[in-house]
Amino acid sequence: MTIGRTVRRPPLAALLLIAVALAQVGLARAGGLTAWKGGGFGMFSTLDHGAHRRVSAVVEAPERSEQLEMPPSLELLAARAASLPADWLLHRLAEGIVARERRRQRPVSRVTLTVWRTEFDRATLHANERVLRAYVHVVQ
Amino acid sequence: MPTSTSFSSVDTALRLTAIALLLRPMGPWFVRPALIAAAALALIYPRALASARLWGAVALLIAFRIADDWPLADNHIYLLAYWALAIALSLRGAAPPAALAHNSRWLIGLAFACAVLWKAVLAPDFLDGRFFRVTLLTDPRFGEAAMLIGGLSQEELVANRRALSPLPEGAAWQTPPPIVETPRLRALARASTWGILLLEAAVAVAMLASAPAWIRHALLLVFCLVTYAFAPVAGFGWVLLVMGLTQTSDDDVWLRRLYVATFLVILFYSEVPWAALLLDVMA
Repeated sequence: MTIGRTVRRPPLAALLLIAVALAQVGLARAGGLTAWKGGGFGMFSTLDHGAHRRVSAVVEAPERSEQLEMPPSLELLAARAASLPADWLLHRLAEGIVARERRRQRPVSRVTLTVWRTEFDRATLHANERVLRAYVHVVQ
Repeated sequence: MPTSTSFSSVDTALRLTAIALLLRPMGPWFVRPALIAAAALALIYPRALASARLWGAVALLIAFRIADDWPLADNHIYLLAYWALAIALSLRGAAPPAALAHNSRWLIGLAFACAVLWKAVLAPDFLDGRFFRVTLLTDPRFGEAAMLIGGLSQEELVANRRALSPLPEGAAWQTPPPIVETPRLRALARASTWGILLLEAAVAVAMLASAPAWIRHALLLVFCLVTYAFAPVAGFGWVLLVMGLTQTSDDDVWLRRLYVATFLVILFYSEVPWAALLLDVMA
C-alpha cells in the first residue's frame, strides 16, 4: 500500500523487529526482563542489567541449610534467570542445582532462589540490593 | 549483482556483512561453524554472495543462536538476524539495491526509535543522569574515559567502586563513604546522557522520515564514530554501517570509502586500547 511517494509499507524484517521489540517491552514491564536483553534495543538505557543483578541459592535438607556459591557449570543458567526471573528459567536453574548436589551425594530437599537487583539512589548514588523475585523449588 | 571484481554499494555491504560474521563468530557448536562457513563462502564465491538461500540460512542460524541462550543475546545479534533476512528477501526481488536501501532505512530507524523510547520514557534512571554517572564510576570498560575525560585518578576510581558496592536490602550506611565526582565527570555524564539521546533521536527521525541522503549518512557516521570509541560493542557499529552503506548509490565512491573506513576505525577502536595508551602518554 503506498501512502505517499516516499512512504512505503515497512518490510517484513522491520515488522519482525517491531513485534519482537513490543514483546520485549511487555516482558520487561510484566516479567522483570532486563531492558538490555530480548531485542528491544534498551541497552545503555538503564543500570538494571547483568552486572547489577545476581541470583543467590540456598540449599536445604534435613540437618542442612547452606548458601551455595554458583558453580561455573550453572553460571549460564543463573545469568539467564537473573536477566529474566521467570518460573521456567528459575525452575531449570533449581533443577541444575539439585542434579549437581545429587552427583556429589549431598542431600537436598529444597532450593530457594533469590534474584537480586541493585538500585542506586538518585541523589547520592549509594547502592542497595532489592529482591526482584524469590522462588522455592521443592524436590519431589 | 556481485561479481569477483565489482565494488558496488550492495557488493561492498554484503562482503562487509560476511566479514562482520567472521570477526565475531557466534553461537553454539551446531551454529558457529555453519555461520563461519557461510561467511567464508560468501567472500570467496560471488554467486554465494548473491545467494538469497545463503543469506536466508544465515538468518536462520542467527535465530537459532538467539534461541539457544535466550534471553542473553545482545541486541545487535537480533539486528544482524533481521538484516540477513532482509538481504535474503531483497535478493529474491526485482530490484535488490532499492529493496536493501528500503530495509536499511526501516531497520536502522526502528532500532534507534526503540533505543530512544527506552532512554527517554521507559528507563527510570537515564534522563536523571544516574546511568552515566554510575557507569563511568563502576564499569571497568569506561574507567579510562572516566580518568581521561572525567579527570579521576586510579585511586579515586577504586575508592568509588568500593563506595558504590551494594548493601543488602534494608541496610544503610551509618557514615556513607564519599563518592568522588569531579565537575568534569559530572559534565561528561550530562553531555553523554543528552548527547546520545538527541543523536539517536535524530538518526531515528532521519531514517524513518527519509531525510535527504547526506543528513542520514552524516548522522549515522557521526553516531558510529563517537559511540563505538567508548561503547564496547563493535559488532553493533558494523551492522549499522553495512546497512547504511546500502543507502549509497554506486556513484558515491567517496561516501562508500568513508563507510569502509569507519568500519575499520571501529575495528581499531575494539582492538587498540587507545584510552589506556593516551593515559600512559599523558602520565
